[in-house]
Amino acid sequence: MAETDISIATPAHREKLFIALYKSAFPAVARYVNKMGGTFDEAKDIFQDALVIYYEKAAAGTIILNTNEQAYLLGISKNLWLKKFKENNRSASLDGVETADLEEEHASESKLMSFLETAGKKCMELLRSFYYDQLPLADAAKLFGFSGVRSATVQKYKCLEKVRETVKEKSLTYEDFLA
Amino acid sequence: MRTSLLETEQIEAHLLQRSAPAHALLFDAKLLLNDDLADKLNWQKATYTVIKNYGRNQLKKEIEAVHQSLFSEARHRSFSEKIRRIFSKK
Repeated sequence: MAETDISIATPAHREKLFIALYKSAFPAVARYVNKMGGTFDEAKDIFQDALVIYYEKAAAGTIILNTNEQAYLLGISKNLWLKKFKENNRSASLDGVETADLEEEHASESKLMSFLETAGKKCMELLRSFYYDQLPLADAAKLFGFSGVRSATVQKYKCLEKVRETVKEKSLTYEDFLA
Repeated sequence: MRTSLLETEQIEAHLLQRSAPAHALLFDAKLLLNDDLADKLNWQKATYTVIKNYGRNQLKKEIEAVHQSLFSEARHRSFSEKIRRIFSKK
């Protein structure tokens, strides 16, 4: 992530960023959803998904944080609303068996997630900052208290190996996950 | 770095298409000859998906915590009332 961007390296920075985005962009999204006949909870769900999309695009460097975020978030929210509306109409005809399969898959994935959130928290947080938040190595090294980029890199690959083994082991236990 | 970590690094370079062409060719050849390496590659690919989902879940939790604080703490009252007024209009 470029240095000119708002720093999103720590949870405290991200909290500040999301409060600012909520205050600047949520009112317009709420007015739109209300106009379309939606509820407060629907506006909340859509806006939170829009924030995730916005954050991921910013982390990947496809957009620059702080450039007309209100219009951007409103645009994503409108698209999400229209998509949700279409899916709601279609879901009535979904085959029951397909839905059951999907639920089973989600259950296996959530078992693996809860395991990683507890047993592998430290590694997962490190890997999250590298691969999801896409922090530059030097920033991640500083954030996690490593002496430098090299030791952060070594730790990254150690964690990746450890989590890879866990994913393999647990997936074989849960059978259907990621098969 | 120990050998297994170098291998993990090479798998990553291959999956993220960051290998130099000559290295990529050599790695492809190793993959054909080494089932264990191919197995590791598949699980590492799955691991990146798991990390992405983990990151997304954690981010959603952070956003939800911000939402709760905006709609329950007194210091954000003018904002929360502004939003509630939007939904009370009929």
